[in-house]
Amino acid sequence: MNYKLNICHLYPDLMDTYGDKGNIITLVQRCKWREIDAKVSNISINQSLSTFDFDVYFFGGGQDRQQVIVGKDLQKKAKDLKNAVENGAVLLSICGGYQLLQNYFKTLDGTMIKGIGLFDAHTIGSTTRMIQKLLIEINPNLQKKITESYPPNALSFWGSGDSRRLQNQNQTDSGQVLDPDLRARMTELVGFENHSGKTYSGKDLQPLGKVLVGAGNNGEDKTEGAVYKNAFGCYLHGSLLPKNPHFADYLISKALERRYRKIKLKPLDDSIEWQAHQSAIKRTINQ
Amino acid sequence: MIYPWKSAIYPRKSSANDTISSVDPRLIIAIFIGKIIAFLTKLTGSGATAAPGLYALKIDPSLVKKLSNQIQHGSIIISGTNGKTTTARLTSDILSTKFNVIHNRQGSNLLRGIASTLISKSSLLGKINENLALWEVDEATLPEAIENTNPQVVVLLNLFRDQLDRYGEVDIVRNKWQKILEKLPKSTTLILNADDPGISILANNFRGKVIFFGVNDKKINLPEISHVADIRHCLACGSNLEYSTLLSAHMGHYKCPSCNFKRPSPRVTVSNLKFNRNFSTSGQFSIFNLRRKYQANDIFQFSIHYNLPGLYNVYNVLAATAVARIFKIKTSVIKKSLENFTAAFGRFQSVQIRNKSVLIFLTKNPTGTNEVLRTIATKNKINLLAILNDKIADGRDVSWIWDTNWEILKEKIKILSVSGTRAWDLATRFKYAGFNLSKKLVDEDISYSINSTVKNLHNKDTLSILTTYTALLEVQKTLSKMGSTQWHEQ
Repeated sequence: MNYKLNICHLYPDLMDTYGDKGNIITLVQRCKWREIDAKVSNISINQSLSTFDFDVYFFGGGQDRQQVIVGKDLQKKAKDLKNAVENGAVLLSICGGYQLLQNYFKTLDGTMIKGIGLFDAHTIGSTTRMIQKLLIEINPNLQKKITESYPPNALSFWGSGDSRRLQNQNQTDSGQVLDPDLRARMTELVGFENHSGKTYSGKDLQPLGKVLVGAGNNGEDKTEGAVYKNAFGCYLHGSLLPKNPHFADYLISKALERRYRKIKLKPLDDSIEWQAHQSAIKRTINQ
Repeated sequence: MIYPWKSAIYPRKSSANDTISSVDPRLIIAIFIGKIIAFLTKLTGSGATAAPGLYALKIDPSLVKKLSNQIQHGSIIISGTNGKTTTARLTSDILSTKFNVIHNRQGSNLLRGIASTLISKSSLLGKINENLALWEVDEATLPEAIENTNPQVVVLLNLFRDQLDRYGEVDIVRNKWQKILEKLPKSTTLILNADDPGISILANNFRGKVIFFGVNDKKINLPEISHVADIRHCLACGSNLEYSTLLSAHMGHYKCPSCNFKRPSPRVTVSNLKFNRNFSTSGQFSIFNLRRKYQANDIFQFSIHYNLPGLYNVYNVLAATAVARIFKIKTSVIKKSLENFTAAFGRFQSVQIRNKSVLIFLTKNPTGTNEVLRTIATKNKINLLAILNDKIADGRDVSWIWDTNWEILKEKIKILSVSGTRAWDLATRFKYAGFNLSKKLVDEDISYSINSTVKNLHNKDTLSILTTYTALLEVQKTLSKMGSTQWHEQ
């Protein structure tokens, strides 16, 4: 059977400043390599969501000027978007997109940009721009699910291209080569943050993770991002998904589960992606 | 008063033969210390061009103001995201035919770089013989540079997303520019890119004379590329901008359907552009008399053929021509200077390693890189080494590689290698763009990558190296060691 996924790229013409398009490219390619037919629809100003049945929504970051325009239009999409998330649709939002899905964003000059309250959180503009590499440890409630959804065979490719890594390898009963280092890294996400808004979450909202290096939501409470059902918000540019393939596959498996059932993903050779993940972490720790 | 530093002691247009009438001990100490530091850094060979200015400005923060004010014909400032170095060098070459130009050619484009250059040309008593100053200025430094140099001419090339980790948003930079330009006196001339709506709008609320340059062609003979636009809406009223021609990113022939904002008609223009396979460019220049009001017959036209590739360099050439015309350089001299020009370090360079050629292109942001990719894509069987570093001068954020249309080269690659501190991020980008990439050809070590890639070339093959800023020096060093026979660095 050929699986199909419908992906919605929200406001790609306006919220496209920080290379977040890489997330869409990654979702599409990782589906394609598994013969899953992924179709991307661009939905922007004055286009309704109600006639579609999307499995995945992506909402990236933009500049303040664009964010005001998008914030107004988003109100018209609020009901459909919230319904979709309640029904298990996957949503990944980053930076400006993440902020607009909260209750409100109060800019530095006092302007209130109304959000849609998907995440019980709000953002306050600040004078400090948090611009740096960002490394987080994924929320323990999610860690196990992500590790489970990532096809175990994919790990066997790890290290095959780089002899310097092979000294660390372990062999499992099934003959797979597992790197204990990699097991540890599957619990982390790495990217680049660039925001001046500080996000504060309501008490019941789960963070996406704990900040290891960087500022995250607000630079104060060590939290980064938010999780509500299958909707995720974060400040991780980079792009995020290409160098965090475990998270990319988690989103794909959740989307398939919603449309079909729990499906085991076909393993891919992710050695280049994990090298990118590792080198980004290395540069983050030394920043 | 806008320029409180303009005191009688430092008359703006003193004759070049004048010495400073009253001795300024602070300035003299600053120059002295600056010169000592310059001497020491030269001895240690560290090549730090900003250090003398940095320390001298700590002693006398007004050093640039004081020294700039005695330059007879004033200062020219060139800024923009892409092309400032090339434009400044083109302009310098042309103006040097008539003036004695001081120019931060080697140095940093921050205020300290300007200070270092001034110190190096100044006598111990603060006397400078050059009669015209030309400053390439970093986008974020523009307000400070304008305040300190009181320029006669300001050239703004373009504004694209670039190093967002340093500048924040493009809009923030533009707002700062707008504010400082509004303060400039009526005697200032502003040279603006007509094709970039984010630049042309800066003419609003500016009190002096504005001269626009632009490309008049409706179509160009480069491969199509998917553009990254930082502007889609009218910056005056917010409506969707309409384009009759889109040339690159958000540059082209635009107008707003709701208000009266539209591409101004440029007075320094080119048409019939042809981008040749040997990376030269030809076209037909039309320059209106900039000193008089528009008259149809008051126009200089000439054909030109110069050795710089790509659309991005067309704008650099036009901007330099506009400056030259303001300083009354003859069009025949402009043409000759442009045609004799060879590119600035790494912007576009060609070196020969025995019987193999290496072309080097500086890539640092999506729009600039897209234009380089378009230029390279005119060829087939491309041997490519792409280098991505993430140091401060490169931009610590490598997200921009995902906004760049590498896909355009996919069908045309023969050998692909990847290097730099973030080689694996770039390798991932190529993988997701659908390239066949061997992991063996990905290595963070730049020198190793260059050596192994060049070794893989056949005789008479050409390798194109695309590199971010901080890797350039290592590229240069490696190629020299390999015995490159030709290196165009002054």
